[in-house]
Amino acid sequence: MNKQGYSAGHVAYLKKRRRSAVAVNVARVAILAGVLGAWELMYRLGVIDGFIFSAPSRIFATLGGLFASGEIYLHIGITLYETLAGFAIATVAGSAVALALWWNEKLRKILDPYIVVLNSLPKIALGPIIIIWFGSGTRAIIVMAVLIAVVVTTITMLGAFLETDADKTLLMRSMGATKVQILTKLVIPSSLAGFINMLKINIGMSWIGSIMGEYLVSKAGIGYLIVYGGQVFRLDLVYASTLILLALAAGMYALVSLAEKLIVGKNRI
Amino acid sequence: MKELLTLEGVGFVYHTPDGETVAVDGLSFTVKEGEFVSVIGPSGCGKTTLLGLMSGLLSPTEGKITFSGGEKPGYMLQRDELFPWRTIRKNVLLPLEIKKKLTKENAEYADSLFEKYGLADFKEQYPDRLSGGMRQRVALIRTLVFKPEVLLLDEPFSALDYQTRLSVCEDVYNIIRRENKTTVLVTHDISEAISVSDRILMLTPRPARVKKVYTLDFKEESPLKRRKNPRFREWFEILWRDLNE
Ligand SMILES: Nc1ncnc2c1ncn2[C@@H]1O[C@H](COP(=O)(O)OP(=O)(O)O)[C@@H](O)[C@H]1O
Ligand SMILES: [Mg+2]
Repeated sequence: MNKQGYSAGHVAYLKKRRRSAVAVNVARVAILAGVLGAWELMYRLGVIDGFIFSAPSRIFATLGGLFASGEIYLHIGITLYETLAGFAIATVAGSAVALALWWNEKLRKILDPYIVVLNSLPKIALGPIIIIWFGSGTRAIIVMAVLIAVVVTTITMLGAFLETDADKTLLMRSMGATKVQILTKLVIPSSLAGFINMLKINIGMSWIGSIMGEYLVSKAGIGYLIVYGGQVFRLDLVYASTLILLALAAGMYALVSLAEKLIVGKNRI
Repeated sequence: MKELLTLEGVGFVYHTPDGETVAVDGLSFTVKEGEFVSVIGPSGCGKTTLLGLMSGLLSPTEGKITFSGGEKPGYMLQRDELFPWRTIRKNVLLPLEIKKKLTKENAEYADSLFEKYGLADFKEQYPDRLSGGMRQRVALIRTLVFKPEVLLLDEPFSALDYQTRLSVCEDVYNIIRRENKTTVLVTHDISEAISVSDRILMLTPRPARVKKVYTLDFKEESPLKRRKNPRFREWFEILWRDLNE
């Protein structure tokens, strides 16, 4: 018996689990190191053309330069601003529309074909119209991000609202609950899992929206840097900017996951 | 005894795009104060619809229902329908919240029910920590907390395994008797109906009409004691024969 009072079998089980977790992490790091190492090696040996394929050392040097000049912070700031604004507006607007559609069955039936069509429309096709309406600044890009995320938000949230257990609704009605009470005490709490799912989808959609928007029309931002790097054939810049984008997106996803842990833990869903 | 709930020539029709279903037809029955009535009948015959009509959630398409009690009837379903995001205590207080009657006095009444029925230790737990039988007991307390005169129970034990069903039925019966509630229990289990009822209302296959009403002649006995009574078998055979004829 050890100090926690576990049996020898359980201690062995825990040890095995820990060992397997370590092995998984080692393998993950090894893959990354292997790919980067092979890439660098091929570049050094002249197997690949550094001008087109770049190399880890060149990308990190470019990254260092970008951060040293401080110019990159402006681009990061602008892209983050566009993405988060698009994310927030789409989340609020999409949830509000979903709520209205849950509340009014008639409205839901009437609008159903419009939602289906809007959902299947590739929103990027609206680019030219958005530029004409909203100019060629961050505003147009936020609109693009909102357009891409808002329809999915509406559909996901409406689905979650409508999935509310019919017997629980019956029970609430037998207690004399009003529609507002059914909404606040049953429908919204039981849709929390759907809400978190929606946030996860939405964050990805907003990134697509902001980067696409910057491809179309922009004077700054990470998407702008990538397009600009491509146009002037500074591929090191393209790779470095993509790497920054990767880090930002991963960071944002981690934040949503953290929020999920907090919300789920507190609300038992 | 006072007549608490009277149905006169009650009919109910469901309308759907595929057609109409007559679920209840020309049904007359009276529930008296303080009695325990069971409703049995083949599945799909309209038992749940009948409870819906008694509760006022459905309005009869024909006939008349008179309810002379004060507070609306309390409803209990096959599954406990406890909200997983609320503690046991918060689940029980839900009807009071909804009726805007969450006074200190009523909350204390809820706590007294927890004490009385041995659930006080679980009050601050979440439902997923409780067994199926305990959850159904909590569901009953949630129904009792706003002091309804009539309880409507729709197959409340059928989701439980046999052993648990017997013991939860025993508990629920004792609680209901102690709290002196008028009860209508829907069940498809003949022996369950015999073990708890003063009267049994047998329905025809759909549309539900009154097939026969039985007044049981047990003295005040708990369900488990009734099951050991020699009259139990006799009643079972009568009801079994009539239900299948
Ligand atoms: N909401 C509904 N819409 C249409 N038909 C229904 C609805 N609810 C029940 N029915 C039909 O009415 C009949 C009686 O149903 P129900 O009262 O649930 O029976 P039971 O509880 O005895 O099994 C069934 O044939 C069922 O298909
Ligand atoms: Mg039923």
